Amino acid sequence: MRPPLVRRPDGVIAGVCTGLAVHLGISPAWVRIAMVVLTLASGAGVVLYGWLWIFVPTTADRVDLGRRSGPASFMRDVDGVGAPGAGPDGGTAGAAMVGALDDAAGSAPAPGQTQTWADRARRAGRREILFGAGLLIAAAALLAQLLGVEADWGFLLPVSVVVIGAALAWSQLDEARRARVMSQAHGAKGGWGFRLLAGIVLVVAGVLVALSSSNSLSLTMTTLVAVIAVLTGVGLVLAPWGLKFWRDLETERASRVRETERAEIAAHLHDSVLQTLALIQNRADSEADVLRLARAQERELRQWLFADPTRDPGSLAERLRVTAGEIEDLYGHPVAVVAVGDALLGPGEDALAQAAREAMLNAAKHAHVAVSVYLEARADSIDVFVRDRGAGFDPDRVPADRAGIRESIHSRMQRNAGSADLRTGPDGTEVHLRLPRTSGNDLPDKASGLAGSRKDTG
Amino acid sequence: MTSRESTHRAEPPRVSVVIVDDHAIFRSGLRATLGDVISVVGEAATVEEAEVVIRATGPDVVLLDVHLPGGRGGGGAEVIHRCAAFATTSRFLALSVSDSAEDVVAVIRAGARGYVTKTISGPEITDAVQRIASGDAVFSPRLAGFVLDAFGTAAVAVDDELDRLSGRELEVMRLIARGYSYRETATELFISIKTVETHVSAVLRKLQLSSRHELTRWATERRLL
Repeated sequence: MRPPLVRRPDGVIAGVCTGLAVHLGISPAWVRIAMVVLTLASGAGVVLYGWLWIFVPTTADRVDLGRRSGPASFMRDVDGVGAPGAGPDGGTAGAAMVGALDDAAGSAPAPGQTQTWADRARRAGRREILFGAGLLIAAAALLAQLLGVEADWGFLLPVSVVVIGAALAWSQLDEARRARVMSQAHGAKGGWGFRLLAGIVLVVAGVLVALSSSNSLSLTMTTLVAVIAVLTGVGLVLAPWGLKFWRDLETERASRVRETERAEIAAHLHDSVLQTLALIQNRADSEADVLRLARAQERELRQWLFADPTRDPGSLAERLRVTAGEIEDLYGHPVAVVAVGDALLGPGEDALAQAAREAMLNAAKHAHVAVSVYLEARADSIDVFVRDRGAGFDPDRVPADRAGIRESIHSRMQRNAGSADLRTGPDGTEVHLRLPRTSGNDLPDKASGLAGSRKDTG
Repeated sequence: MTSRESTHRAEPPRVSVVIVDDHAIFRSGLRATLGDVISVVGEAATVEEAEVVIRATGPDVVLLDVHLPGGRGGGGAEVIHRCAAFATTSRFLALSVSDSAEDVVAVIRAGARGYVTKTISGPEITDAVQRIASGDAVFSPRLAGFVLDAFGTAAVAVDDELDRLSGRELEVMRLIARGYSYRETATELFISIKTVETHVSAVLRKLQLSSRHELTRWATERRLL
């Protein structure tokens, strides 16, 4: 199958030739030569090029169309467009202009395509070649005139000025499309107004010169004033329409952002909640399974909705929460974690987390009820309470071969200069783990606020 | 969830309740799980409906979802504000699935007497409603944890300081955060249940009246509740 006809981001002016070459499966050089040859035939090549420029979408546009598939491609797209900022290329004004043209025309890379510096350098080189070729043509024309060939400079010069101006203005078309693709227009703001203005000035000047080349300067000035007056009038008439267009564009952009968000939420709900609901319907006869599924899904959804992305995933509180979730899934009893303060995971905290895990496991395994976990991290110590409302047990009658409490909890805490207390009775069992705090384990961001509040309370 | 015993009350009076929640399924589920001592006198699904129903029925307790459609988008807190305009005698118990501290703090500071999560069991919610009706405050372990985090875990001697918790209040909050019921807390601290309730109410008052800026800052920075 033929690749679709799109304007390529790696083209020289607007990516028309490159795109055509890819579509036809031939070398871009041949397409360019064909264009030049066609241009020599009364400028047909230029007309064809302009026509294709207007009507053939860029790869970015196509991505734009197909973006509803998911947010990831959208984000990639935005990143890709935002990346090649309008950097200054080339030393001369002409090269800069051509570079600007090229930037405007086709620097939006295809999704997933990374733009390397080598790419940019190669493209910059091409621009210079183009500029050099232009100069060579001009020189050849001059030479031809010197050799006696009659060239109608009064006609050619204005026309070329008009063409350059039109190209400059047309590049805004791509710019506008790109701005629509991007959620923020910051990248498009740069030389936007300048380029458009330069394009208009060039076109107007070119047309004026072409029309009035044979006439006097005063007449040219009069015409200029008249033209400006007419343009101002047209501008006044078109301004409301333009404003409306711009507002529509803004609205559409906003709705696209909303659509993307909606798509993201839909994708997430589909992957998680809908799947779980389907599972629940399948297992409706098993109460334990339904409960477990519902709880796991609730936890996952909470994590997704309310999780603080700035929160350190390596903190003690997060670790306990994850552990609680695992044990909830294993035994089907809710394990609720309440954390006051937080601490970074050091060797001591790691041991504390493991001991707490063991305590939660025991509670869920033997008590068969809900488990409450309370973490309090203070300046001098970290306390963890694991409580259940089970029937309790007699610690002295635990068989000697059961290493759970003694080895996993008591010894582990003692090795880290901490302690573990076990209280058990008919109302339930509570394990209290305490770790004296060594300095430097406070989470930096929270330490400031919490330590501050402690300072003024104590 | 903390299960709270109501056995210490000899003959609890029948409590009238309005359920305000935008999910009909949840309302009917809650109606079914509430015990015999509670009579549901009305239901509402939006802020406006809630105002009308509460004004018309004047219930003892309003079970109030934190997130509600209608009004100016203020949810449960807006209902409380609106009802304050006609000096309602109803007390509010916030119910939420929300994990965000802002939501719960907003509704508590608006005047709710307590906060529980929607996964609470039937007997627990019944007991919580009775507690609220008798003028007590109802703290879930999470709310207690939030209070501790917001006010700091170091005690001050002065009891009437609005921005601090007294040593006893801290102890009570800690035990509630650890999953203790009021009765268990009382036994643990060798005080009466009434004293525990007094402490919890005092903490609630501080939570509602404290101008401590950390409370809001903390609430927006951390989502622990």
